[in-house]
Amino acid sequence: MTSVHFSFSSAFTLGLMGLAFHRTHLLSALLCLEGMMLSLFIALSLWALQLQTIMFSAAPMLLLAFSACEASAGLALLVATARTHGTDHLQNLNLLQC
Amino acid sequence: WFLAWMGLEINTMAIIPLMAQQHHPRATEAATKYFLTQATAAAMILFASTTNAWITGDWNIPQTSHPAATSLLTLALALKIGLAPMHFWLPEVLQGLNLTTGLILSTWQKLAPFILIYQIAPNTNPTILTSMGILSTLIGGWGGLNQTQLRKILAYSSIAHLGWMITILHFMPALTLLNLTIYIIMTSTMFLSLKSLSATKINSLAITWPKTPILTVMTMLSLLSLGGLPPLTGFMPKWLILQELTKQNLPILATIMAMSALLSLFFYLR
Repeated sequence: MTSVHFSFSSAFTLGLMGLAFHRTHLLSALLCLEGMMLSLFIALSLWALQLQTIMFSAAPMLLLAFSACEASAGLALLVATARTHGTDHLQNLNLLQC
Repeated sequence: WFLAWMGLEINTMAIIPLMAQQHHPRATEAATKYFLTQATAAAMILFASTTNAWITGDWNIPQTSHPAATSLLTLALALKIGLAPMHFWLPEVLQGLNLTTGLILSTWQKLAPFILIYQIAPNTNPTILTSMGILSTLIGGWGGLNQTQLRKILAYSSIAHLGWMITILHFMPALTLLNLTIYIIMTSTMFLSLKSLSATKINSLAITWPKTPILTVMTMLSLLSLGGLPPLTGFMPKWLILQELTKQNLPILATIMAMSALLSLFFYLR
């Protein structure tokens, strides 16, 4: 595993751990999601360089566009949660428990 | 892989407004939880395919061959469809939605990840697949036992059915697709009949017989079919799957799955 591969793998894994273990604020989960998308963007861009082809060059831009859409959807949901629940603390998201 | 990922993301984003349309706190909370899990799973899918591309230089879906990448892909796709051990979001999310949106969530949303699972199935680790399948059937059976809310019952039944489908994926993928089709038809029947009865709890099901006895009978029949009793269609995939498992000399596996089907049947009959 080359160093570049290791670096973006570790960036993604750190973001994933942060997303899995977020404790109080929903916003930190969204930030971790964005971090993961960013590491994937770097990975895709460097992969196109690695292969020395120009075939997949549009892919990182598309990824960026889609991750922006995801982030905006997440933020809209965050706003909706703040409107109905008061804050974005995770302890407040307990209306659906068994 | 990239187009597959884009398709999954578009799917997620299209469902979110449908889920959050009802301005009830429960619906919003369900939409938020659903969004987080699905976005995580989609990012993991892309990460696994990128890792595979770095290691093997291959970007086609049927040729994902690196074992770490396929394991991660299996986990991510299982998170997307709600397979154990990543099923924890499904009952709560389904509870927060109205019945029509829950129908879309249970049937249509399972199609896309299943197509991906079907395509990468020959390359995946069979241990992971079958262990997740058995775990899903067991958890689907046990988890549904104490539920009174109908949507949660349907969520646990969905988990159990998906477990059956995943278990047979390694041996005969055609049975997986058959089971998926029959499951979609049966679950659509259940959801639509519950919607016309406007029933969301077991108590409201119990008082429907004076109003529309025919519909009540249909609901009971489709419940029994979901449980997999012999004269009804739901028995067919279970029978074929068990037959296939015994052909592959795995009788213990078949016994475990038959027992867990009994658990599901118990809470259907309530």
